[in-house]
Amino acid sequence: MSEILLNVQGLFVGYGEVPVLRDIHMDIRRGEIVALVGSNGAGKTTLLRALSRVLAGTGKITFDGHDLTHLTPDQGFALGLVQVPEGRQLFDQMTVFENLMMGAFRRRSKGAIHATLESVYALFPTLYERRTQRAGSLSGGEQQMCAIGRGLMATPKLLMVDEMSLGLAPVIIDQLLEVLSTIRKQDVTVLLVEQDVFAALEVADRGYVIETGAVTQSGTALELTESPEVKRAYLGI
Amino acid sequence: MEQALVVSTMQLLSQILVNGVLLGGLYALMALGLALVWGVLNIVNLAHGALIMLGAYVGYYLFTLLNIDPFLALPLSMAVLFCVGYLLQRGILNLIARAAMFNTLLITFGIDVVLTQLAQIFFSADFRTINPSYAGSNFMVFGVTLPLVRVLAFVVALALTIALWLFLLHTRLGRAIRATAQNLGAARLYGVEPKAIYALTFGLGAALAGGAGDLYGVVSQINPYIGATLTAKSFAIAIIGGLESPLGVVVGGIFLGVVESLTALYIGPTFVDIASFGILVLVLIFRPNGLLGATT
Repeated sequence: MSEILLNVQGLFVGYGEVPVLRDIHMDIRRGEIVALVGSNGAGKTTLLRALSRVLAGTGKITFDGHDLTHLTPDQGFALGLVQVPEGRQLFDQMTVFENLMMGAFRRRSKGAIHATLESVYALFPTLYERRTQRAGSLSGGEQQMCAIGRGLMATPKLLMVDEMSLGLAPVIIDQLLEVLSTIRKQDVTVLLVEQDVFAALEVADRGYVIETGAVTQSGTALELTESPEVKRAYLGI
Repeated sequence: MEQALVVSTMQLLSQILVNGVLLGGLYALMALGLALVWGVLNIVNLAHGALIMLGAYVGYYLFTLLNIDPFLALPLSMAVLFCVGYLLQRGILNLIARAAMFNTLLITFGIDVVLTQLAQIFFSADFRTINPSYAGSNFMVFGVTLPLVRVLAFVVALALTIALWLFLLHTRLGRAIRATAQNLGAARLYGVEPKAIYALTFGLGAALAGGAGDLYGVVSQINPYIGATLTAKSFAIAIIGGLESPLGVVVGGIFLGVVESLTALYIGPTFVDIASFGILVLVLIFRPNGLLGATT
């Protein structure tokens, strides 16, 4: 077992007086793909916001040896905690190349940025072909590739991908999942936040099922896929 | 006899057109800073004309007190105004960046009043002009008279516009400015600090105003009250040209310059503002995204 990259202990988060997340415990090991699945409104995005320090909460979050609890979103980002937001959130009027370069905004070494750019183009040859096109003119799948590519340009230690599959055709989702298993070999750990439970578990090593603000199940992807509760909840069998 | 009349009419027309284009280049530079700040910070800066006025006085005093040529003083004037703009943004305007339009109008109007009154106290209400030795020089091209300072002002204005364009398109900070304008949330996600970008953008807008003011002082007269008219003109040009690219602003500026020159000649100098703001209204009705903007 490789070393733990992200550790969450007893995390409680609420919006004002309303508690949303209750007593969350979670581990992500270096090099893993971990799926965080659950239906709409279960608290997935809230947990993501707590991890990226946009929302404060009580409890302990440790990332790569640093205590995240008192860091700003910016400081978390600087440590390598990078988010690919729901709905892609590209800079629509800017070119694909410019979008990718915005991912590297905080990096200064031109040579290193160029090397990452090459590796992103290698992962997504389509992005290379479309590099001078406006991001807003791409198809949904290409936009998602651009969003993931932009995240990779920030050289993340943990890439948190929010609702990657939303609105995409199954064949495109499969392509993207394949890319995620490729980038994990390049020393990027992935947290995949998904409503599409079975797509996420297809590629993940382990998963956490979250319902109404609490983790209800966790285990290897196989265990969760086989689990009668998961099948009942998400397939209606 | 008739032929001679046609020739002289043509010559007059081309002279007017040239005057209009030369004036328009300067107009474009004036409007550029306003459009930049508007597009990125969503602030219609009513103090923009006052910043142009300050830039003109910086050029004036550098020329009269230190004998620095106004075209050499241009970078200094821009640097001073960049600092003024940066500090204004950091101190006051960051409170209202991306706030409701009405708040931004109130605060920038207040800044305009304060700057104008301070200028009146410190610089007096007298008309001034920056008058280098070559101010009256002309040269002729194809029978059209080209006043040297106006041509120089046009060239410098155009060069600054192109420089800004290249900066926005091809540098890391320029990209960050555009990214912040397009999707603030995503820009933050990737480590862009909006307050720093806003201050930089406002500083740039003010620097462009400073450069425009310095050139304005060379081709026209200055006093503490020129700001209001210049703000209105810049506003009209930004609307006519659209906020999307510096090119649109250049087209808007030259368009307005030509319209004003033609109106002054064929209808009468008192109708100039009616023509330019009349066009503004027409553009708002028929092409609300600007002359070059998308039609939908």
